[in-house]
Amino acid sequence: MAEPAPRGPVRIDRFGEAALLIVLGDRVDVAVNDRVHRLAALLGIRAADMAGLGAPVPAYASVLLPFDPLVLDEAAVRDMIAAALDTAGGSGMPAHCADVVSVPVRYGGPDGPDLAEVAARTGHSEADVVRLHAAVEYRVFCVGFVPGFPYLGLVPEELALPRRATPRLRVPAGSVAIAGRQTGIYPADTPGGWHLIGRTDLPVWDPGREPPARLVPGARVRFVPV
Amino acid sequence: MLNVIEPGPLLTIQDAGRPGLGRLGVPPSGACDSWGLAVANLLVDAPAGAAALEVTFGGCTLEAIETCVVGLGGADLGAERDDGRPLLRGTAHRVPAGARIRFTGPERGLRAYVALAGGIAVVASMGSASTYAPGRLGFADGRALRAGDRLSPRRPGDLDAVGSVWPVRLAPHPADTCGPLGIVTGPDPDAAPDRALEALVAAAWRVSTSSDRMGLRLDGPSLGPGNEIVSHPLLPGAVQLPPDGRPIVMLVDGPTIGGYPVLGVVPAADLPRLGQLRPGDEVRFTPLDAEAGRAQSRRQRELLDRAAATLRADAIWLRLADRAGG
Repeated sequence: MAEPAPRGPVRIDRFGEAALLIVLGDRVDVAVNDRVHRLAALLGIRAADMAGLGAPVPAYASVLLPFDPLVLDEAAVRDMIAAALDTAGGSGMPAHCADVVSVPVRYGGPDGPDLAEVAARTGHSEADVVRLHAAVEYRVFCVGFVPGFPYLGLVPEELALPRRATPRLRVPAGSVAIAGRQTGIYPADTPGGWHLIGRTDLPVWDPGREPPARLVPGARVRFVPV
Repeated sequence: MLNVIEPGPLLTIQDAGRPGLGRLGVPPSGACDSWGLAVANLLVDAPAGAAALEVTFGGCTLEAIETCVVGLGGADLGAERDDGRPLLRGTAHRVPAGARIRFTGPERGLRAYVALAGGIAVVASMGSASTYAPGRLGFADGRALRAGDRLSPRRPGDLDAVGSVWPVRLAPHPADTCGPLGIVTGPDPDAAPDRALEALVAAAWRVSTSSDRMGLRLDGPSLGPGNEIVSHPLLPGAVQLPPDGRPIVMLVDGPTIGGYPVLGVVPAADLPRLGQLRPGDEVRFTPLDAEAGRAQSRRQRELLDRAAATLRADAIWLRLADRAGG
């Protein structure tokens, strides 16, 4: 028998006057995230033929749905979401992605300026931090923050640290970073609040390519120290 | 056609943006002040959301290679001709070949818009001409404009709009109204320290110098660290609380996903005001319910439509007067 899909309580919160945030869970979890992407796919289809409905944005455990309040009532959008939640059952990703992407990483030194601090704060050697980070097969839970940035998990519990108190104003493109149980790759020079432990030359965003994001939700990723 | 002589601190091409690509991490971008963009464009008979120049702060000089008409909207950045005569905002001006437009520095606001007849001709990337550097989207792979860049109108040689004046009394810029910015509560006030929302509303904030098109950082009392949340999507206007307790208001180039609690969201009708705030400006917030936010949007849309209709009617009179030789 197939594993029952998670059907936990769903919260629909206001996100300003022109969007609703559909919260399907309160943790980073593969089954919850599968459901997020199934719901987002369904809402995306509705958005294409319902005037005033914006394109849904999936994250880890929630989907943001913008709408034009001059065209659509909030109540009508909530009804439509309720109907979509009823039909977004099942399990797995809407489009399964089977390949495992290897990401070569230069850990530490100028490429990973926070590696020593991460080691000190987690009580490990730098070599252990690298070994732990590279030991796991990660999944892309969502893409966001900046174009092509993959939110990957789960980082081993031993490396979980809160984000930096004040974000850096500039993180170099290609930086590999961790925060909590998440890891990611900065596609461009941007501000960022995560701990930088290494750097890769793999381009994760190219607007001239289809799809422009190298890593899409559901894809599996391995970091390889070089 | 315009030639960039000096770009100033940041000169980019922006239009109504590329909403709907958040799933790829692509923010809406577009003009920080959509009202100012619409004014500039409508003055030269371009669609309200067409591509125009976004001039930041000042220190920008443009030169007409061929005689053209420009619509000026947004902030008053002290625009003037070579001879020092002012170029009023909210007006369509004729710029003869060889003449220059200088933006000397902000009298009021932060961003001005320069529109050309029918809009600036730019190839769209991912559905929009807006410049967004981290995604390498827009003119020349998303870089800001620099000296020597040339910009052409979609309708070259069209000077019909010269003399058009925005009906400012009918439809004043949202940034010309005083009073606190609205904030619609949610979605994460529970993840913020106790009474953070009350403290946010009670305090007077100053826009920090490390603000840009991604977000406005606010200096003021620390609201205390928010709890980390499971990262969720963001939109422009979202007020995030990072661990240092000083709020950040997301703008059009802001991140599409974030892990700090969102105390509330500034409604769409106040976004043009956010786009005109400059470092050192004071900011206050007042709670607003969602329905009131929608009513403001509706009112703003009506004002813009009425002003556009007035402009069209004026344009007919201008042309008739021209033909009469008057």
